[in-house]
Amino acid sequence: MTTVDRISWSALSLFGVFVIYESLQIKYYGSDFGPGPGFFSFWLGVLVAALSAIEIVRTFGKRVPLPADFFPTRSGVARIACLLGALVAVVFLLTRLGYSLTMLLFCGFLLRVLGKQPWWLTVVLALAGSFGTAYIFRQLQVILPGGWLGM
Amino acid sequence: MEALQHLMGGFATALSPLNLLFATIGCILGTLIGVLPGLGPAAGTALLIPITFKLEPTSAIIMLAAIYYGAMYGGTITSVLVNVPGEAASVVTCLDGYEMAKRGRAGAALGIAAIGSFIGGSVATLGLVVMALPLSRFALKFGPPEYFSLILVGLSLVMALAGKSLTKALVMGIVGLIFSFVGIDPIEGAPRFDFGITPLLDGIRFVPVVMGFFGIGEILMNAEKSLASAVVEEGKVSSFLPRRDEWRICASSINRGTWLGFFLGLIPGTNSAVAAFMSYAIEKKVSRHPEKFGTGIIEGVAGPETANNSYANAALIPLFTLGIPGSPTVAILMGALIMNGLTPGPLLFSQHATFVWAVIASLYIGNVILLILNLPLVNVWAKLLKIPYNILVVFILVFCIIGAYSLNNSVFDVGMMIFCGLLGYVFKKLDFPLAPAILTLILGPQMERSLRESLSLSQGDYSIFFTRPISLVLLVITAIIFLTSAWQALPSSVREESKGAQV
Repeated sequence: MTTVDRISWSALSLFGVFVIYESLQIKYYGSDFGPGPGFFSFWLGVLVAALSAIEIVRTFGKRVPLPADFFPTRSGVARIACLLGALVAVVFLLTRLGYSLTMLLFCGFLLRVLGKQPWWLTVVLALAGSFGTAYIFRQLQVILPGGWLGM
Repeated sequence: MEALQHLMGGFATALSPLNLLFATIGCILGTLIGVLPGLGPAAGTALLIPITFKLEPTSAIIMLAAIYYGAMYGGTITSVLVNVPGEAASVVTCLDGYEMAKRGRAGAALGIAAIGSFIGGSVATLGLVVMALPLSRFALKFGPPEYFSLILVGLSLVMALAGKSLTKALVMGIVGLIFSFVGIDPIEGAPRFDFGITPLLDGIRFVPVVMGFFGIGEILMNAEKSLASAVVEEGKVSSFLPRRDEWRICASSINRGTWLGFFLGLIPGTNSAVAAFMSYAIEKKVSRHPEKFGTGIIEGVAGPETANNSYANAALIPLFTLGIPGSPTVAILMGALIMNGLTPGPLLFSQHATFVWAVIASLYIGNVILLILNLPLVNVWAKLLKIPYNILVVFILVFCIIGAYSLNNSVFDVGMMIFCGLLGYVFKKLDFPLAPAILTLILGPQMERSLRESLSLSQGDYSIFFTRPISLVLLVITAIIFLTSAWQALPSSVREESKGAQV
């Protein structure tokens, strides 16, 4: 078992314990016969915790090497962080700036910074990905946030 | 006879100009999803759900079903032309399909794939017609205990077949179940796992989870390496027909692929990639010249491609008749049905007969559309691969954001999708299978309701699951599946030791 495996199974067993704890805050027995809202989740929490613990014990001391490419390179981590950062920014900006402006910034950033596209192509594609998709989906009667400027 | 009458009625609905248009659009979009690498059928189908929001349910499901099997065919094109499988089931097509293309026989490979897919898909749909009514009538005998046991069979198969480790598959299935319990309890109305976050009271919706796991998660995996993909050159495609001497070999391969795909489609937990790989293995085994496999022989394409599409259509049988989805993509179709106010299962045939038969008829029509549409457009699809991945990925993300947001006009769902994307990335890195989590997320509420209703019926007596014959049989099957999987999961030395002790 690798350290990564040990950490992941430990995290899962903690998750199981957390589910057990949360389930105990809810009614275990129902108002009529049989189980209540907390019954199923309680036992599932027990199962996750038990299976994780068994897996840790079963593979204890066994050394399994990690795949060579398990950890991403520094540039790989930077790309993932860029993508996640841009996506989280969308969550915060979507209702404030509206769909079109948020997507214009989102597409522009990803195309220019991650995609390394020339400026002219970045602008054209970002406009297509923002105002273009907004137009198409609004035609399909999909509601998209307008934001402060109503865009 | 009754089924035939219903089917004719279904054709009348499915052949209306509007539904025909939606089936065609679905086939085109599905093929597009299949062609584009990094966007599998599951994420692709989920991504396109918002397009169907304003359609009436029959048209919406006809379109989504067309997207589903269009994606199955789309993956073939890129496998043959540029050795890039658009989805997992097409990986095996690369082996001989690409070799054929290198010898200037891309047309024949694509032609036989289209013909095989058409035959496999059509036979499986015919199977659906034949089996639908008897199976759904049998399923009408099911009460809550039988449903609970049936779901257990489905889930145990999914977990047993999901990956290398049974424990990992089990844990993922349980995680999906726990996710499905978030929100208001369906029987007593008590809030669970909401942590004071109001949107969580509505529960975790499956679309953001699917798009996160399969869409964003996949993009993050690709981002590890590089987002800049090499621009590929497509092969030239001319004649679409195999040589005269190849027809007989192909007929046998298509026949075997059809039945293999059909039976695998009935088993929850398998997937189209399993059907394709098994078909390839069978073709190699029965061949007179197995050593030539991988060098560009046509039965290496005909069998797996037929099995792949036969599987896709047959997988709808357990969904429509029993309400059990066998794979994540079928689970998404199930979610779309529920979103349209239709509960998959035996009652679907009695309560929404027009709808269900129209969808079944549309499967036939879709197969014909794919055959007509895709061969002439092969070169157009191949050109799509020239779009650099770092541009494509931006548009995939835009569609993911629209899909997640428009589900409930909620930014919270976009956040949930991103969270699940990160989770999906971590699970993929750690080699945890994602399919069990998606299936249990969809089936969780139904499973819990069946369990609790059963125990209410029996006044808390658990023997209700063992005293009803159908439920008992299903539980025995579940136990056998688990025990077999657990036995296989044991190290071979332990198994040998145990066998030795018995002797």
